[in-house]
Amino acid sequence: MTALLTIVFNGMAYGVLLFIIAVGLSVTMGMMRFVNLAQVSLSMLGGYVMVVAVASLGWPFLASLPLAFVCVGAFSVVLERLVLRHFYGSDDLTQVLLTLGLVFMSISSAAYIWGPSFRPVQVPDWLTGQVSVLGLMLERYRLFLVVAGGLIAAALVIGLERTRFGAMVRACVDSRRAASGCGINTQLVFALTFALGGGLAGLGGALSANLLSLDPNFPLRYLVYVLIVVSVGGMGNITGSLAAALLIGVADVVGKYYVPAAGGVFIYVLTVALVMWRPQGLLGRKAA
Amino acid sequence: MIQKNSRSWLKIIAAAVVAAAAATPTLAQETIKVGLLFTYSGPSGISGQLSDNAVKLFQQKHGTTAGGKKIEFIKRDTTGPNPEVAKRLAQELIVREKVQILIGPDFTPNVLAVAPMVTEAKVPAFIAGAATGGIVEKSPYYVRTFYSVPQIVRPMAQWAWQNGVKRPYVLVADFGPGHDTEATFTKTFVDLGGQISGNSRVSLRNPEFSSYMQRIKDAKPDAVFVFLPISELGPQFLKAYSDSGLKSSGIKLLATGDVSDESVVDAAGDAAVGLITVGTYSHVHDSSLNRRFVAEYTQSFGKTPRHTAATVAVWDSLKLIYDGVAAQGSAKFDPDKFMAFVKGRSFESLRGPVTIDKATGDITQNVYMRRVERQDGLLQNVEFNTVTDVPAK
Repeated sequence: MTALLTIVFNGMAYGVLLFIIAVGLSVTMGMMRFVNLAQVSLSMLGGYVMVVAVASLGWPFLASLPLAFVCVGAFSVVLERLVLRHFYGSDDLTQVLLTLGLVFMSISSAAYIWGPSFRPVQVPDWLTGQVSVLGLMLERYRLFLVVAGGLIAAALVIGLERTRFGAMVRACVDSRRAASGCGINTQLVFALTFALGGGLAGLGGALSANLLSLDPNFPLRYLVYVLIVVSVGGMGNITGSLAAALLIGVADVVGKYYVPAAGGVFIYVLTVALVMWRPQGLLGRKAA
Repeated sequence: MIQKNSRSWLKIIAAAVVAAAAATPTLAQETIKVGLLFTYSGPSGISGQLSDNAVKLFQQKHGTTAGGKKIEFIKRDTTGPNPEVAKRLAQELIVREKVQILIGPDFTPNVLAVAPMVTEAKVPAFIAGAATGGIVEKSPYYVRTFYSVPQIVRPMAQWAWQNGVKRPYVLVADFGPGHDTEATFTKTFVDLGGQISGNSRVSLRNPEFSSYMQRIKDAKPDAVFVFLPISELGPQFLKAYSDSGLKSSGIKLLATGDVSDESVVDAAGDAAVGLITVGTYSHVHDSSLNRRFVAEYTQSFGKTPRHTAATVAVWDSLKLIYDGVAAQGSAKFDPDKFMAFVKGRSFESLRGPVTIDKATGDITQNVYMRRVERQDGLLQNVEFNTVTDVPAK
C-alpha cells in the first residue's frame, strides 16, 4: 500500500514537472493562437539563468527562480518584437517551421555559449533527500515541485480568468480589431502575454533542470512531452493542462512500475486515446 | 667576362636542376588521408569535438608527418547511431576523398554498416567508439582501440561476487548494448553461484526513474548494477538513486564506466560520490604518461568539456597510424602491411598497457575497478583494483 501511494505521489510530481515546463506554451498557444515550439528553448534558457546565478554569482536557489522568470520573460519580448510578431497571421505550418528553426538555433547557441556538456545543477540541502509525510517517505524536491506547480496553476487561473488583464488578453485574441477599437493597446497586451508565457517557460526550466539535466539538447528532449501536455489538456486551458499533465505523469509512473516491459509506451497510448476521445482537449472549449 | 659569368650561371642552374631532381621524391611526398567519422552534431556531438581535440593535440606533439609522409585529416559527421548516413559518408570518404585509413565510425550500427565497404576498399578502420562484443570480426580491416562490453562487464560481475554481493539487481538501458550487458553480467554472476534479485530495462527517452527505484526497493537486493549510455540518463539515475533514499540505505551501487564517464559525471554532483564503476580509462590513472597528457590537454582546451575513454581511444588510433605509416618508410602505403603492423602490437597507452589481438584486431587491456571521489572540485574515477590483460571477447 505504501509502495502504491509513493508511486502515485511520484507520478503526480512527475506530472507537475511536465505541467511546469508546458504551461508557458499553453499560455502563448492558447491565448495568442501562436504555435511557439521555441518555448522549450526558453525553458532551457531559464535553466541556464538559474545555474549561472547559483553557481557563478552565488545567488540562493530560491532567488534564482524569479530571476529566471524575469530574464527569460524579457528575452521573449525581444524575440516577439524582432521576429515572431511578423508571423501572427501566418498559418500553423509556417509558425511550426519557424519556431522549430529557432529551437535548432538555440541548441547551437547554447552549446557555443555554455559548452556542450551537462551543467551540474545544485539545489540546497533542504531540497534533497527524503522526508516522512503521513508515514510515507517522500522526496523533498518532488514535494517542492508539487507545491510550486500548485502555486503557478492557482496564480494563472486567478490572473487570467478573474482579472481585467485576463479579460483584455481574451478580448484581443477573439477579435483584435474590436479590442483595439475599444481602446485596448493590443500590441502591448500581446507583448505582455508573450512575456508571461516566456517567463513561465523560463521558470519551468529553472525548476525542472535538477531532475531533467541541463545541456544544449534540452529543448529537443522535452519538446514532445510539452506538446503532449498542451494538446491533451486543451490549448490555453490552465486547469486542463494541469489535469492532463497529472494524468499522464501518474499513468506513466504507475504503468512502468506494474508493467515494466511496456516501458514508456503508456504515455503515448494514453495520449492517442485521450486526443481521440476529446480532440479539443481534456477540458478544452470547442475549437474556435 | 660576360661569357664566364653566364657560364657560371649555367652551372648554377644545372646544379639547381640536379638538386631539384634529387629532391623531387620529397616534394611529391605521398599524403596519407585519414577519414574521421564521428558524431559532431546532436546529443552525442560532444564526442566529435573531443576527438578533434585529440587530433589537434596529437599533431601539436608529433607533427603532421609520419615517416616523411604528410598525414591529412578529413572529417564527416555521422550524426549519431545512423547506419545509412555512416555508410554514405564512408563511401564518400573512400571513393571521392580517397582516404586510406579511417578512424571511426562510432556506434555499433554504424560499424556494422560500414564493414563491407572497408573490406572491399582495403581501408584500415579504427573502432574508437563502439563497444559491442565481436564487431571487430566483421572486417579484417577493423581494429578496436576502445573496449568491449564483455571486457568490462565480466570483471565487474566477478568483483561483485568476490566482494560479498549475493543477489544484485540489474538495470540496463533498453537497446542492444544494454541487452548485451544484462546477459553478460547475469551469466557471469549466476555461473559463479550468485542469484539475480530482479532486473529492469529502461527506455532511452525520458525514463523518469522513480518507478524503477520503487521496484529496486521491492526486490531488496544487496547491490544494484547499472548500465546506461553516456547521456543525461547517468546523472538522472544517480540523482534518483540518491533522492529515493537507496543510496543512504547502504545498497552498493555498481555501474559500467559510462555512468561515471568524465563528460557527464559532474552533472550528478554529490549523488555520484561513492559510486563504483568498471572501466578502462580514468583521468587520474596513475602513470606519468597520463599525467602529462591530462596537463597538456587541459592547457590546450581548458577544463571542460572533459576528455573521455573514447578520446583516449582516438589518441591510441593516431599513435598506431603514425607508427604504422612510419614503419612503411618511403614505400607506397600498403593497407595489408599496415594491418600486419598494427595487429599484434603492444604499447603503453594513457590507460595502461594494451595489445591489439593478432588474430582479431580487437583490444586486450587492463580493466579497472574505480570509485567516484571528489578531487580538486572535479569528480574523478579513482582506481582501486586492476584486472590485467583482459581480452575483448
